[in-house]
Amino acid sequence: MSKFENKTTGLLTNVDLKGTKGKIIYWFFFAVLIVCCIITLFPAVWTVFTSLKDPKEIYTSTKFFPEHLSWNIFVTRVCDSWNQLKFGRSILNTFYYSIVQWVIKLTVCMFAGYTFSKLKPKGSTMVFALILWTMMMPGQMRMVPNYISYMSFPFASKTEFGIGINLLDTYWPLWLGGAVDAFAIMLFKNAFDGISNSIIEAATIDGAGKLRIFFIIMVPLCVPIIIYESIMTLSGAWSNFFGPYLIIQTTTKQLLPAKIFLMGNDGTVKQNTYLMGLIIGSIPQLLIFAFFKKYIMGGINVGGVKG
Amino acid sequence: MSNTEGKTKKPKRGSYFKKSFFSSWLFALPALILMYLFIWRPTVMGFVWSMFKMKGYKPQYFIGMQNYIEVVKDTQFIPLFRNTLKYVLWSIVIGFLPPVLLAVIVNEMVHFKQKIMTFLYLPAIIPAIAVSLLWKQMYDPTSSGLLNSLLIKMGFSPYQWLNDKNFTILWIIVSMTWKSFPGAMLLYYSALQNVSQDLYEAATIDGAGMIRRAWYVTRPQIMGVLILNFVRQIIGVFQVMEQPLAMTGGGPDGASASLGYQLYRYGFVTQRVGHAMALGTIIFVFLIIITIFYFRLNKKLEESL
Repeated sequence: MSKFENKTTGLLTNVDLKGTKGKIIYWFFFAVLIVCCIITLFPAVWTVFTSLKDPKEIYTSTKFFPEHLSWNIFVTRVCDSWNQLKFGRSILNTFYYSIVQWVIKLTVCMFAGYTFSKLKPKGSTMVFALILWTMMMPGQMRMVPNYISYMSFPFASKTEFGIGINLLDTYWPLWLGGAVDAFAIMLFKNAFDGISNSIIEAATIDGAGKLRIFFIIMVPLCVPIIIYESIMTLSGAWSNFFGPYLIIQTTTKQLLPAKIFLMGNDGTVKQNTYLMGLIIGSIPQLLIFAFFKKYIMGGINVGGVKG
Repeated sequence: MSNTEGKTKKPKRGSYFKKSFFSSWLFALPALILMYLFIWRPTVMGFVWSMFKMKGYKPQYFIGMQNYIEVVKDTQFIPLFRNTLKYVLWSIVIGFLPPVLLAVIVNEMVHFKQKIMTFLYLPAIIPAIAVSLLWKQMYDPTSSGLLNSLLIKMGFSPYQWLNDKNFTILWIIVSMTWKSFPGAMLLYYSALQNVSQDLYEAATIDGAGMIRRAWYVTRPQIMGVLILNFVRQIIGVFQVMEQPLAMTGGGPDGASASLGYQLYRYGFVTQRVGHAMALGTIIFVFLIIITIFYFRLNKKLEESL
């Protein structure tokens, strides 16, 4: 109970928690959270258990736990599912796609943020306002026009002359289209705004150019934001479903989320394998979370969502 | 963040980069080109081409409002619109308050706070498409689905879940809420962390009880984030498309098809591209109205503070 004394004042105060009423409310809150944790964890646990069951067992027994469970069965189930689902290629593809996406997006958005925060050429305030406006633009409207423009990039539509590159079935539309993100630009602008101008002034006097200042001052001072945005970009790439689903048609180029979706439409996949597929599909993101939990859970503070 | 610093030094702004107008813009050029190609141009072209006769994906000739008339006169349009509103309403009813309340409660915790947060955050980590398919399995109308097996264990008969015409949308929204509440909760939580302790203490000294503190201290402090998220949720759910695509295919009998799903079908399945863009413009207009409404509301709020 001594933990109560360290509690910062909020809805419940230290004084409240000394009384019975306060304690009841506190433990009621605690119970609510436990119930919510069960709601979030239960489907996940069910997925793991069911994926380890035998197909027959799923339909005959109503038991929650798999009846036969040993290390061997676990290994067999994982290997069988892996062989049937053939996710290997798409995992490699997604890895490649996500890394390139990460490099392109961070480069583009950081340079843009640098311009709008520190360089501020004439007219930049207005252009930045325009960029912020795009955040509010619903994306659905540009879905079809974008698709049309991919057919003879960079033209808006197929011209009579037949020039322009067909970007369909390549990763380029995903990379380039995913590279500009008004929110990321704003995030970097805010981060760069926090860097004192006097440092830049000193560096300028020492003869550093713009590019040099960017790499020796701006980047090292904004590492937390860069990490936060990197996590967002990578996990976004690993869960990007709809764009790749439309654009990539060749099976060998398929990305993981689209592959998962196609698995869902495949009638031959039994429920246990299906759930195993979902687990495999979630592992990359779980790993990202496990490594960068600190940045994800505390990350939004860095971004400073304006409210 | 520290925008204020930039403002106090206003006269000096940009002084050390005086002669470099073009090279300064050069840094933003990639972003601007990509933004033009992938966001600004398609938005405008979507509007322009919505008034064109399309042959496949090729614009042919100007036909005025013909596409719009055909989209709106389609017998499916009114039901689709109603479905979309249902999505939005259900998501507000069951998806809006829980993250707020949870954030408030988590903020009060002293026991296992970090562990609870981690567990609660789990659904946000799983890719959206995997969540849709997972819930599709849980809603399985046979006894192999999780929810039906629970019902059977408790002695009820199995329920149709997604096949129940009246509530398909509700069940889809439940799965979407499961996926999205941790992110929203984290957002509110960080807003709550910024609420000053002194305000609570002052209110306590003035004799305000818990409920009054919640209403008069917490609520106004997080109102900005609340409204922002409210509007973002409406805008997001109004465009719902992947979930019906993955979970129901718009069924049963089109009961879960939304405007966004119809746009996808026009654009990529039934090849009525002109209709797709007309529908896109209609969705766009609706959402812009909501956005303008949000800015009005936000302005009022900022004035009242």
